Amino acid sequence: MVDFTNIDLDQLFGFSDDSNPLLMLIWILPIIIFIFYGQRIQLQVTSGEIKKAIKKLDAYRIEARTELIEHVKKNMNPKEDPTKKIDRFLEYFTIMPVDMDPHGIVDKVRHTVRAREDYSRNQVKSLSPETSELELSKVITLLEIATSLHMIYKIVNHMYLTAKKQNNYPLILPLQMILPFIMEEAEAITKAIPAFKSGQPIGDGIGPMVVGKMMLDTKKELLAFQTVSSETEFDGRKLILLKAEGPGSSVGRPGDAVEAIVAKNKPDIIIMVDAALKMEGEDSAITAQGFGAAIGGIGTERFQIEDIATKNNIPIFAIVIKQSVKEAITLMTKDIANQAETVRTQIHEMIKENTKSGQSILLIGVGNTIGVPQ
Amino acid sequence: MFSKEEIIIAYTLEKCKSCEMGRKRKFAEGDYLFSETTKCNSCEGTMQIEKIFGESIEK
Repeated sequence: MVDFTNIDLDQLFGFSDDSNPLLMLIWILPIIIFIFYGQRIQLQVTSGEIKKAIKKLDAYRIEARTELIEHVKKNMNPKEDPTKKIDRFLEYFTIMPVDMDPHGIVDKVRHTVRAREDYSRNQVKSLSPETSELELSKVITLLEIATSLHMIYKIVNHMYLTAKKQNNYPLILPLQMILPFIMEEAEAITKAIPAFKSGQPIGDGIGPMVVGKMMLDTKKELLAFQTVSSETEFDGRKLILLKAEGPGSSVGRPGDAVEAIVAKNKPDIIIMVDAALKMEGEDSAITAQGFGAAIGGIGTERFQIEDIATKNNIPIFAIVIKQSVKEAITLMTKDIANQAETVRTQIHEMIKENTKSGQSILLIGVGNTIGVPQ
Repeated sequence: MFSKEEIIIAYTLEKCKSCEMGRKRKFAEGDYLFSETTKCNSCEGTMQIEKIFGESIEK
């Protein structure tokens, strides 16, 4: 009979003896498992997190697609069911020009992007030709949102499935690293849908909001596609105002408009007002002043404005209103809206400091002008 | 520890063009910045939409 009341643990596990085989097995076995199967275990743990994120991305893209189809049905009254056509739009892709020889690349990119924009606009309009320009701009933006979320989901899913298929842990590492940023952006894009559907101003619209108010009661002129300009006076100086044509969802074509203005009447300085991404730790809705063309996007508009300014020796000043990605594309926050008056005061100070009476200033409100007329 | 659900409510801020009296109300479909809306309650002037913004509440 074994006496279980008298077991010596020290003796059983050999705590007092370094050569106990049971203790050696307890320590060595996991080490061997981790040497041979470590990457696979890590892959399993990481895949769980990525799978959850992919499920979320799938929900986002489905939500965007459903919202778009419902919005089109409700507001465009198409004769046929638009679902099939919209599903085809979601699969559209853009092949960017070859950049092995960068000479002339900006013109090529601009041409490709504008061709896509024009084609999308015509296709969306074909759903219901009587649709107003305002409604059309909203639907096009909703389509861009749905297409972006669809593409993000497809790319992330592809990277994940490739790593799983190859059982390759290092392949999943870059995805794991960038996933939080992708999720932040995807969430922000999804949350932008209600603002665009209702025609509410977004954070990015602070520039057009500032300039739009200054354009009230002035004679407006369409200078480029969806881009309006007007003239007014401030403290003995001529003020040329420029923004995308609101209240539709558009950023206009400020590059073309600046070219037209400079060709007709060269301004002494250019001031650009735009939203800018805040750094982590920075407060939202703070303003900052600087130099250079404050305009985002793929870079073609900025290139055009910089090129014209350089050739004509016109200094460019910038005022930016800092905000997060989410704030920039969702309904404007109270803090950002409250900065409009401060920015106008800063513009007036900047004009007084950098120009003399009789000179002219080109003031550009950069950003999406949804819900912001002039 | 538990993240609360954030709900954004859209508001429209109107301001009288004559007496500058402000009025905040919930956003209504068709509201655009700088559009003239109703008559001012205090001076019979015209109210103009000054701001449209979102305020968040946590649920």
